[in-house]
Amino acid sequence: MHMADALLAPAVAATMYAASGVAAGWSVRQLRREDEPQQLPTMAVASALVFAGQMINYTIPGTGSSGHLCGGMLLSALLGPQAGFLSMIAVLTIQCLFFADGGLMALGANIWNMAFYGCFVGYYLLWRPILRSKRNISMPRKIIAASLLGCVLTLQLGAFSVVLETTLSGITELPFGAFLALMQPIHLAIGLVEGAVTAAVLVFVYRSRPELLRDVDAADGTGTRSVRATLIILATLVVFVGGGLSLLASSNPDGLEWSLFGNEEAGYSANMGLDEDDYGVASNAAETAAAVQEATAILPDYAFAGSDSPAGTTVSGLVGSVMVAALAALICLVGRTLREKKAAKHSA
Amino acid sequence: MNRAEQALRELHEMDVLAAGSSPVHALCPAAKFFTTVLYIVLVVSFGKYDLAGLVPMALFPVLLFQCSGIPMGTCFHKLRFMLPLVLTVGLFNPFFDRAPYLMLGGLTVSGGVVSMVTLLLKGTLCLTASFLLMATTRIDALCAALRKLHVPGRFLTLLLLTYRYVGVLTEEAAVMSDAYALRAPGQRGVHHRAWGPFLGQLLLRSMDRAEELYAAMRLRGYHSHFHYALAAPCTVRDAAYLIVCAAAFLLLRFVPVSELLGGLLVR
Amino acid sequence: MIICDNVSFAYEPERPVLQNLSFHVERGETVGLIGANGAGKSTVMKILLGLLPCDGRVLVDGTEVKKATLGNIRRKLGFVLQNADHQMFMPTVFEDMLFGPMNYGATRAEAEARADAALEQLGITALKHRQNHRLSGGEKRMAAIATILAMEPEAVLMDEPSAALDPFNRRLVIQTIRGMTQTKLIASHDLDLILETCSRVILLSGGKKAAEGAAGDILRDRTLLEAHRLELPLCLAGYPNANDP
Repeated sequence: MHMADALLAPAVAATMYAASGVAAGWSVRQLRREDEPQQLPTMAVASALVFAGQMINYTIPGTGSSGHLCGGMLLSALLGPQAGFLSMIAVLTIQCLFFADGGLMALGANIWNMAFYGCFVGYYLLWRPILRSKRNISMPRKIIAASLLGCVLTLQLGAFSVVLETTLSGITELPFGAFLALMQPIHLAIGLVEGAVTAAVLVFVYRSRPELLRDVDAADGTGTRSVRATLIILATLVVFVGGGLSLLASSNPDGLEWSLFGNEEAGYSANMGLDEDDYGVASNAAETAAAVQEATAILPDYAFAGSDSPAGTTVSGLVGSVMVAALAALICLVGRTLREKKAAKHSA
Repeated sequence: MNRAEQALRELHEMDVLAAGSSPVHALCPAAKFFTTVLYIVLVVSFGKYDLAGLVPMALFPVLLFQCSGIPMGTCFHKLRFMLPLVLTVGLFNPFFDRAPYLMLGGLTVSGGVVSMVTLLLKGTLCLTASFLLMATTRIDALCAALRKLHVPGRFLTLLLLTYRYVGVLTEEAAVMSDAYALRAPGQRGVHHRAWGPFLGQLLLRSMDRAEELYAAMRLRGYHSHFHYALAAPCTVRDAAYLIVCAAAFLLLRFVPVSELLGGLLVR
Repeated sequence: MIICDNVSFAYEPERPVLQNLSFHVERGETVGLIGANGAGKSTVMKILLGLLPCDGRVLVDGTEVKKATLGNIRRKLGFVLQNADHQMFMPTVFEDMLFGPMNYGATRAEAEARADAALEQLGITALKHRQNHRLSGGEKRMAAIATILAMEPEAVLMDEPSAALDPFNRRLVIQTIRGMTQTKLIASHDLDLILETCSRVILLSGGKKAAEGAAGDILRDRTLLEAHRLELPLCLAGYPNANDP
């Protein structure tokens, strides 16, 4: 679900950087206040583990394909939300710098889409309430429920953000609703698989070394019998609810689109009602993005040249491009010749 | 070769490239960093039909490849994950945006096609620029430069430590995947019965390792902050590089070079 | 049983890891693969198992190692890794032992019988239900060997079987290796272990075969060993410099 640089307008990218930066700055301050020097090496090893874990393919039963691990939930369950968030940023940064996953400019958005939701929303909204609930449910089941729901929610929010960011950037001609209808169901499936993998790992950790997990009361009952049954029930539930929502979205994309963008004269803020309620901070980001976008000179739709540009200009542009390409080829040729000469001199 | 091993090789490859020597490698990391960021921002800011304006921007990576001696193939190999994604998003444009944009003889090119190609080129250029930054700059040098720019030291320490352990743990994951595959023929990945234990064992060992690491750090006098290697000071040459690049980018961004060039041939 | 014919391998074309390597291992034989760090021992193992592609031909029990035959070949070859932690990922020793056989088509009952037999053979029935991450180094090594024996392989490849073991556990491993009837290829620079377990030795150096012959001959050739960054086995060297003129 990595965003690419090319899918973002500078204004949107900057907004996402600002949002992620604030969350990261706050996390660093929290950690500094806790002042546990042991935290840092643990975080580093945990993020390296998430990186390595994402390189492992997990076979999805009954299908030929394979899924991966959800880093955000795993890290916040091990390290807590703030440390987990920073660790996740480290993972994403390394993926961005060394593996060209995403890009430098899209990093802010990627951190928001993949680290923020998993670590903060997933932790505060699901992991902690579920694990600390007084209900008489065995700990493994709580862990499974929290990781499964957490991963699904994280990915849904993440996918929604991707769609929103891309649309606000004016990159795709795909209508917002249709794009959403495409993305949400796919990420529902991915979320389920990631949730199951994450749950399996966390339950294993719970059984071996419960003290490693956050909010886990080790003395709690360890009913181990029907973990699989819990998993199946929960998965079914999520499929039904999520599938229903997706169906709704795809059958009535215009409605959804209208609610967000339809009535443009009234401005975004008035129409963002749906977004604001459900997605909290995201909508602020979106609003700001829209506002900043309108204010800055660097706009995605800067040159809406299209049909009204005189044909002559366009053709000369094309010819010019070909000339530039030829120049590039020439540079390559010269560079190679120079290097070969140097190498020849070296060996002589 | 499994995925973890592939990742390990890519990491190693970047290390080798970044340790090379060339005029580009010798530039100070901060100058390269800012140049790259400016370049990416300007590339992305081109209008979605402005293919002609965008093409000259490709000269920067082309020049950089030639000056640094970094092989282009390594870079394009890395694009294999992101470009399909960009393409997927762009692929819809030709269907939704059918307004004719350009007439070439009898051939009509629609706006959607132009915007799709522009998007792909943008994606390639941005990723190439980031790649070139990392292929000519060592991560510790970059972190030292970022520290000077007031990025929190804790985060940079975390990044460096993570980078170190990504190598170690990915290698473990690679060996474990091989060992698994040897005893589990014909499985495309880890069977769901082993989902928890497979990564879980690695996790438990990693946490022990973190404790050991912390002990080792403490034994050598670590307490909550690191001393960074001194960042290479920026010289006049670095400043000149930054200024020349920035001026060139802005020129290419706001002067329609392609059209002017083409105008010489076509009236 | 194992034939390596003119095998070359390189991660990067300009830096070959193995060059034109040819050797063979007869059925029932125990062969030592010795060489300094980075000589290519582990790479040879990986190529035999089809984990790395290579130029040249590798035959295991008459079948060429290639994608289509991997399943068959890996069923016949057991590989004991240098680091037992990498090999065993199931929670307990016993579950880990069942993992391989069941993946190769054994029923649970069969797999359990095999696992029990392997534990019995190595004398480590006490470890059966122990947690893998709580085992000591020596116990881990024995358990890892048991894990592979439970697959009933025809040949066993071992990578540094004595690395990081104390004298007692090292002796235990040596006796275990001597007691195993399978064809064995052992990569190590613990030359004493090689001398005690192997009949024939292949010396690798810089990715090429530097020498091959009876263990007694090669391991006594001080000049040859030292030319390839190795030393005489301690039991033959006596006190340091005792053989110096």
